[in-house]
Amino acid sequence: MNFGALVDGLPRVTFVLGKGGVGRSTVATALGATLAERGERVLVFEWTLAEPIAPWFGFTPAGIEPCAVQTRLCVANFALDDALQAFFVEHMHMGAFYRHVVHGRAIRRLVEAAPGIAEMMFLGHICWLTTLAEKEAGLAFDRVLVDAPATGHGASLLDLPATIASVHAAGLLGTEMSRVNQMMADPEWTGAIAVSMPEELAVEETLELVPRASRSLGRPLLAVVVNRSVAGLLKEDASPAWLRAARARLPPDVATGLESISADLSGRLAFERELRHSLEGATKLGCFALHEQLALGVDASPRGVVTALTSAMRSDGAVRA
Amino acid sequence: MSPRLHVLLGAGGVGKTTLAAGYALALARVPGRRVGLLGIDPSHRLKDALGVALHDVDAPVPSAGALRAAVLHPEEGVRRWATEACSDPAKLARLYANPFFAALADRLATATDIFAAARVAEWVEHDPALTDLVIDTAPGLNAIEFLTRPERVAAFLGGRLVEWLRWFAREEPTGSAAGFLRGGARRVLGSLSRIGGSRMLVDLADLFSLVDEMFARMLVRVQATQRWLRDASTQLVVVTSVRYDGAQMASSLVLALSSAGLTARAVVVNRALPVGFAEHVAPFESEAIANDATASPVIRYALAYAAIQARLVGAVHDLTSKTIVLPVARGLDGDARLEALTSIGELLRVGLD
Repeated sequence: MNFGALVDGLPRVTFVLGKGGVGRSTVATALGATLAERGERVLVFEWTLAEPIAPWFGFTPAGIEPCAVQTRLCVANFALDDALQAFFVEHMHMGAFYRHVVHGRAIRRLVEAAPGIAEMMFLGHICWLTTLAEKEAGLAFDRVLVDAPATGHGASLLDLPATIASVHAAGLLGTEMSRVNQMMADPEWTGAIAVSMPEELAVEETLELVPRASRSLGRPLLAVVVNRSVAGLLKEDASPAWLRAARARLPPDVATGLESISADLSGRLAFERELRHSLEGATKLGCFALHEQLALGVDASPRGVVTALTSAMRSDGAVRA
Repeated sequence: MSPRLHVLLGAGGVGKTTLAAGYALALARVPGRRVGLLGIDPSHRLKDALGVALHDVDAPVPSAGALRAAVLHPEEGVRRWATEACSDPAKLARLYANPFFAALADRLATATDIFAAARVAEWVEHDPALTDLVIDTAPGLNAIEFLTRPERVAAFLGGRLVEWLRWFAREEPTGSAAGFLRGGARRVLGSLSRIGGSRMLVDLADLFSLVDEMFARMLVRVQATQRWLRDASTQLVVVTSVRYDGAQMASSLVLALSSAGLTARAVVVNRALPVGFAEHVAPFESEAIANDATASPVIRYALAYAAIQARLVGAVHDLTSKTIVLPVARGLDGDARLEALTSIGELLRVGLD
């Protein structure tokens, strides 16, 4: 199995989980671009207060309306207000109810305060996007990549079906909830991958995230993607000869800077080994590495990195454990 | 007399937690200070470095003078505050048994901004001799949502929602004006029940009345912290590392703070290379690669890093009146890490002075 096979095997909705700063959005976008190159209509769906991806492509931050950033590749960002409006007006045809009741302050307070409602609307919107959105709003996507909120919150999203089962919802919301449960339970409809990077906190969090998310989802994650890997690029040598030469040739603070960078990169080898070793003990997960693009001389802008990662995925340049 | 607050904000993974610990260690060395460190989710190595098992309740850090440290733990906090607000064991038992309480505690765990704000005030109530409180925050804009979207705090903790639900749940109206209003409200309730099911609404009303008192106390504490943050002595420090998304977040944070009427004191560029790095290293590249091909990825990475740093130091420079550039440090993961932590913290302390 190679990276291409991972991309082929993704379900219609893939939750991309991981700690902030590991490159979750970058990896989700590169996966999306890879799928789009293969002719699929792809949406990267985020839930964030400051939408980053559309600006990489020169657009203003995306809202809930999908923004096409490349051929067949769209980006959208969840906002509770917009999702409520889409739910009541477009889906339920309850425009008057929305304007007079939901939009009112008292109900807004209830919705803001009641646990799980925003999360429910988030999952409900994803469900809608992959079912009725084509008929109701002309939005047709073959795949949705969910750039889920950072670790804790992202994993608690997967717990939601169990949580909502305990709140005894009936009526319209109950119907919606059972549709979301159906979506989350179907392995051909939803799945999750974890993005990590070979760095202390990221490895610690990934090792907590993987079992937790598998338990919530009721099945294993599809893969762990190790972003910014240097495996195969570097030798594990804390003090190579060229670096000692640098100490003799360069000003002391410059040499110290170079040594720190080198130590940071070779430290990643050990963290990646630790991550792979622990995952192999615990699961049979595929562990896919994406190389540190900045070590390969690519354009260092976020868009440049996405383009380079997409090309690595296309050519199976990424390596598997 | 309340302590001086030092709040570190920034994207995930920029080194806030490590810097907060180092800064608190450096402050605690100043004679006469009594310093608190409120952390969020530190790594095992940082806990090891501080040599203390971190809990929601603060404990002294060994060999660090007058430093006490705690880490935010929403579950422990919710239970402690519930006990504090309610002395009736039967009522508490009902609270814990409510299906929504678990969900609410979970929800609170994601509202770390509100939680941390309440925890800050609680700490000061219990330790009035504190001179400085260093606060590490949740990643990104969520850390200051309690400042930028105060209506969310009101929705979460405000008594009005509870009032509204109680008023709803009451039996047949008596007065004519109230009856007229409630008649309209009941139609709304009817529609809501269609959506959520009536059992769900009953659970919700029950829960809100049970946690009413607990939330009222939390609200008072959050408001106290909101006021302290506006105090002239408070230092709001926005941290980025050499990463585009870190710089993007720093700029979003500064803007969000200013829209809430607050001014960030400084932007810290963490883990930076020295000035002139690229000029010295670029000519050295071919020589190094001729000796050893594995030098190439390291040098390319270092040069890309320096290029990103140059662009983002320029970009964050105008955000605040002060930009503090902290060097990449070694030894943060070695045996002398407490020393290394303190010296990087000392650089920040001097930079902020």
